[in-house]
Amino acid sequence: MKVVEIMSKEVKSLSPDMTAREAFDIISGMEISGLPVIDKDGKLVGMFTEKDVLSHILPSYIEKVGRFVYEQNPKSTKKKITELGNIKVSQIMRKEVLKVNEDTTLCEVGRIMLTEKARRIPVVNKDGVVVGIVARCDILKAMAKESEI
Amino acid sequence: MLKKFIILVVISLSLGFLSSSIGLSFNQSMAIAIFSVSVLGTLFFWDFRLGFVFLGTSILLMTRTINIENVIKFASLDVILFLVGMMILVGLMKEAGFFAWIVQLILRIRNMTAVKFVVIISVISALLSTMTSEVVSIIFMVAAVLEICDYFEVDPVPYITISILATNIGSAATVLGNPIGILIATKAGLTFEDFIIKAFPLAMVCLLAAIILLIIWYRKTNMQLDKHIKELGANEMLIRLISVPPDKELKISLAIFGATLFFIALHHRLELLWDLEPNTLLLMMPLFASGCVMIWKWKRAREYVEKDVEWWTLLFFMFLFAQAGTLKYTGATDVLAQKLATLAGNSLPVLIGIVLWVSAIGSSILDNVVLVAAFIPVIQSFQSMNLDLQPLWWALLFGGCLGGNITLVGSTANIVALGILEKERNIRMTFFRWFRVGLAVGVLTTTIAWIALLVFPFYR
Amino acid sequence: MLKKVFLLILISLSAGFFSLRLGLNPHQATSIVIFCVSVLGTLFFWSFRLTFAFLGTSILLITQTIDVDNLIKSSSLEVILFLVGMMVIVGFLKDAGFFAWLVSLILRIKNLTAEKFLIYISVISALLACAVDEVTAIIFIIAAILEICDYFEVNPVPFLIISVLATNIGSSGTVLGNPIGIIIATKSGLTFEDFIIKAFPIMLVCLLVTIGILNVWFRKSLKELDERMKEFGANEILIKLISVPPEKELKIGLAIFGATLFFISLHHRLEILWDLKPNTILLVLPLISSGGIMAWKWKKARKFIEQDVDWWTLLFFLLLFAQAGTLKFTGATDVFAQKISLLIRDNTVVLTGFVLWVSAIGSSILDNVVLVAAFIPVIQSLQELGYNLQALWWALLFGGCLGGNITMIGSTANIVALGILEKERDVKIEFLRWLKIGAVVGIVTTMIVWLALSIFPFYK
Repeated sequence: MKVVEIMSKEVKSLSPDMTAREAFDIISGMEISGLPVIDKDGKLVGMFTEKDVLSHILPSYIEKVGRFVYEQNPKSTKKKITELGNIKVSQIMRKEVLKVNEDTTLCEVGRIMLTEKARRIPVVNKDGVVVGIVARCDILKAMAKESEI
Repeated sequence: MLKKFIILVVISLSLGFLSSSIGLSFNQSMAIAIFSVSVLGTLFFWDFRLGFVFLGTSILLMTRTINIENVIKFASLDVILFLVGMMILVGLMKEAGFFAWIVQLILRIRNMTAVKFVVIISVISALLSTMTSEVVSIIFMVAAVLEICDYFEVDPVPYITISILATNIGSAATVLGNPIGILIATKAGLTFEDFIIKAFPLAMVCLLAAIILLIIWYRKTNMQLDKHIKELGANEMLIRLISVPPDKELKISLAIFGATLFFIALHHRLELLWDLEPNTLLLMMPLFASGCVMIWKWKRAREYVEKDVEWWTLLFFMFLFAQAGTLKYTGATDVLAQKLATLAGNSLPVLIGIVLWVSAIGSSILDNVVLVAAFIPVIQSFQSMNLDLQPLWWALLFGGCLGGNITLVGSTANIVALGILEKERNIRMTFFRWFRVGLAVGVLTTTIAWIALLVFPFYR
Repeated sequence: MLKKVFLLILISLSAGFFSLRLGLNPHQATSIVIFCVSVLGTLFFWSFRLTFAFLGTSILLITQTIDVDNLIKSSSLEVILFLVGMMVIVGFLKDAGFFAWLVSLILRIKNLTAEKFLIYISVISALLACAVDEVTAIIFIIAAILEICDYFEVNPVPFLIISVLATNIGSSGTVLGNPIGIIIATKSGLTFEDFIIKAFPIMLVCLLVTIGILNVWFRKSLKELDERMKEFGANEILIKLISVPPEKELKIGLAIFGATLFFISLHHRLEILWDLKPNTILLVLPLISSGGIMAWKWKKARKFIEQDVDWWTLLFFLLLFAQAGTLKFTGATDVFAQKISLLIRDNTVVLTGFVLWVSAIGSSILDNVVLVAAFIPVIQSLQELGYNLQALWWALLFGGCLGGNITMIGSTANIVALGILEKERDVKIEFLRWLKIGAVVGIVTTMIVWLALSIFPFYK
C-alpha cells in the first residue's frame, strides 16, 4: 500500500509569513504536533512543530547543560513567548524538511519516522508540491488494517 | 567559498616556496606548506578542519616528509587520552548537576551590587576554566549572566564580555583548564606544581588587573545595574529559578572530581616518591578516575564515551600535533628557531618578549591550541641552543591564553559565548566593539606577564 | 555479578602467582595479571570491557610496568586510525544505500533453489566480510535472510548459522575484513598482496568445503526450503520488498569505495615505486578516502565521526593493544616463547600447528581481536628467538578467524547475529546446538589450513 492511499489530503498548512503566535494557536487548536509550511508557490519550505517552538523559547544552550533544574520559567522564556506574535514562522520553523513521495510504501514511511524521529511527514508529488500529510497514527492504523485481511 | 579555498592554497604554496628560497629543504618546505594549509583551514573553513588535516597528513606521509611511526609519536596520544578521561569526568559532573549547582550559587548571592557582580563572575569564570575546558565553563557562566541581567533588566553584553575575558585568563593558570596547559606540561616537562607556583599567581594578578580595568570600562552599565538592583529589590525570583539540591549523586561526583584534582595536584611528589617518570601520574589520573566513573555509572558509560568525549575535536588535535611534530622532525623549526635567536641577538629576555607577543598576536587570530601546537616545536628547537627554556614555555602559555582575549575569534570560548548571545538575545557583537576592550585587556595582561617573566628570575 | 568479579580476580591473580613461580619478575607477572583481567573482563563483563581496560592500563603505569612513551608505541594508533577511516567510509556507504542495494540484489535472484540460496549467502557473506567489518556485513546479510525465510516460511536458523560461519571464514581472506587482518599486516609487515596470494585461496577452499559440509548437515532444512519454493513459486514479492535504485550518490559511493579498494590492493607496488616504508599507503588510504568524503559531505562529516565510528570499541582496542604490548615490553612473552621453544626445538611444523590450534581454541572462547592481540607479542618473541616464520602469522590469522566459528560466542559476528535472531524471532540458540556444527566446521577448516601451511613451502 502506498502512502497516497492513507494520507490526509486536506492539508492545513502554514504560511512562512504568518506570525509564530498565529501558527502556534492553529496547531494547538487542532491538537496536532505540527504542520508543514508552504509558500505562495505551493512549495514546501519548512515544518513548524511544537518541538521547534519549545526549542525556540528555551535557552539555546539547554541541550548541552546536563542536569539543570528550572524551578520557574526564566524571564527570557516568558519574554520569548510574548514575543511570538512578533516573529514570523519562517524564523522558527525547521528548514530541512523530511518529506516522502506519493508512491512511498507504508513500511518505508514507518522506517523513516522511526530513524528520523518524526511524527508527521508531508507527502509531495513529483513536482514537489505538497499533496497530503501522513501521521504516525495513520501508518499504524493502516498497517493494522492491512494485516487483518 | 571557492575564493577562500584559492587564497588558502595560494598562501600555503607561497609559504612553501618562500621556505625553499631561504634555503629550507624540500621536506621542510613541504611540512611548512601542509601545516599552513591546516592552520589556514581552521581559519577559513572551521567546519571542514578535520577533512583538511586528514588529507594534509596523508600528503605528508605520501611525500615521505614523515613516516607513520613518527606521526604516531607526535600525535601525543598521552595528551589525547588525558583529555578523554577529563571529558568523561566532566560528562559525569554535568549530569550530576555540578555546573548547574554553581550557576545556582551565583544566582543566590544576596545584597548584590554591580561591583560584586563583576568580581564574582570574573573569579568564578576564571576558577571554573582552571578546572575544566573553557567551552564547558563558559556555557554555564553565560547562562548565569543572562539570567541575572534579564532579571535586573540590564544589557548583558558587558558582563558576558567580562566573563569571557576572565575565562581566557583563568585558562592559563593550571594544567587542567585548557588543552594548552596539558600540552605544554607534557612537552616542557613541567608539573602541576610548577603551574600552581608560577602560572597561577601570575594569572591571578592579570585577572585582578583586568577586573579593575573592566570595572572602570563598564562603569556606566554598572551604575545602571546598581540603580536597577535598588529598584527591583532583592533577587528572590532569581534565587528560586534554578534549583539543584546537592543530593547523593552530586556529592559523590564532587568527591570523585575532588579526589582526581587532589592526586593530580600531588602528582609530582608521588612520582618522586614512587620513582615514576615525570608526568606519568598526571596523565594517568583522569584514566583511572574515569574508569571508576564508568564502573559506578556503568549504564551510562557508553554514552559518556560516545557523547561527552569530543572525538571530532580530539581527532583534529591528534593530526594537528602530528603535523606540528613534522615541522620539528624535518628540521624546519630548527631553522626558524635559529633565525629567531639571531634576530633576538641570542638574548633570552628579547626572545621571551618575542615568544610572548608573537603568540599573543597569533592567538588572537588563530585558535589557541593551533597556535600553541605550532609554537611548541619552535621552542623545542631552541633547546639545542643552550637557552633556558622554562621562561619561553611560560611566555607561550600566557601569550596563547591571554591573546585569545584580543579579538572575538581569538578563542573557542569567545566564539561559543557570542554564539549563544546572538541566538538568545539577537545581539551581534561587532568585531571592533570587542576589539576595543579585548585589546585593552589583552595588552594590559600580556604586559603584566612580560614584566613578570623578565623581572623575576623565579621563572628561569 | 559479584561472583564473576571474584572469579576474575582469582584467576588473574593465580596467573600472576603462577608466573612468579615460573621465574618471571614482578613486572612481567604484573603485566600478565593485568592482561588476564582485561581478557577475562571481555569474557565475563562484555559491556564493561572498556572500564577494565582503563583501570588496567592505569595500574600498569602506576606500577612502572610500562612508561607512557612505550605505552603509546604499543597502542598501534595507526591501526586505530585505519579503522576510523574505514568506519567513516562504511558510514557513508550505509547512508548512500550501498548495503541495502546489496540486500536487494540478493532478494532479486530468480529461479531460486535451496542449494543456490546456500551458495549465494555463503559467498556473499564471505566476500562482504572480506571488504568491510564483520558486524556491518552480518547485519545486512541477516536482514536478507530473515526476509527470504519469512517469505518461504522456513526456519531461518540454519541459514543464519551458515551466513555467520561464512562470514568468519571470509574475514580471513583479506587485510580489510576484520581488525585482525590489519593488525597482523601491520605487525608482520605482510602486504595486501600477500593476503590475496596466500590467505585468500585458502579461505576459498575452506569456504567451499564448508559449503559442502553445510549442504549435507542442513539437508533437511534445504529440502524443506526447496519444497516451499516450489509451492510459493517465484519470489516476486521479495523482489519488490527492498528497492534501492542505484542513483547518483550510490554510484559515487561505489566509485569511492572501489577506488579505495583498488589502491589498497596496489599499495605494495606503489610503496616500492615511491620508496615508501612498507604498509604506509595501506594505512594512509582510508584517511585519504574518508578525508575526501568528509570534505564532500561536510554537513554529515561530524555525524560520521561521532556516530559511525565505534569509539567505545576502538578505545578498547587501543588500550588492549597497549596492554598486549606491555607483555612484550616486560619480556613476559619472551619467557613464554623460550619455554615453547624448549618444547618444540626445531620442529617448525609443530610450532605452526601449535599456534594454529591454540589460537583457534582460544578464539572460540574469546573475541577474535583479543586473542590475536594476546598472541602477537608471543609470535614477535618467537621470531626474536629465530623462528622467523611467515607461517606463524598465517596460523594466527586463520586460527583467530576460523576458531570464531566453533562456539556461538567465538566472534562478534556470532553475537550480533544471534542477538538479532533473538529479538526478531524470539529464538534462542543453545550453546550445544551451535557447538555441534561449529566444531565440525571449525575443525575441518582448521585442518585444511594446517595441511596447507605444513605442506606448501609457499607459506614459509
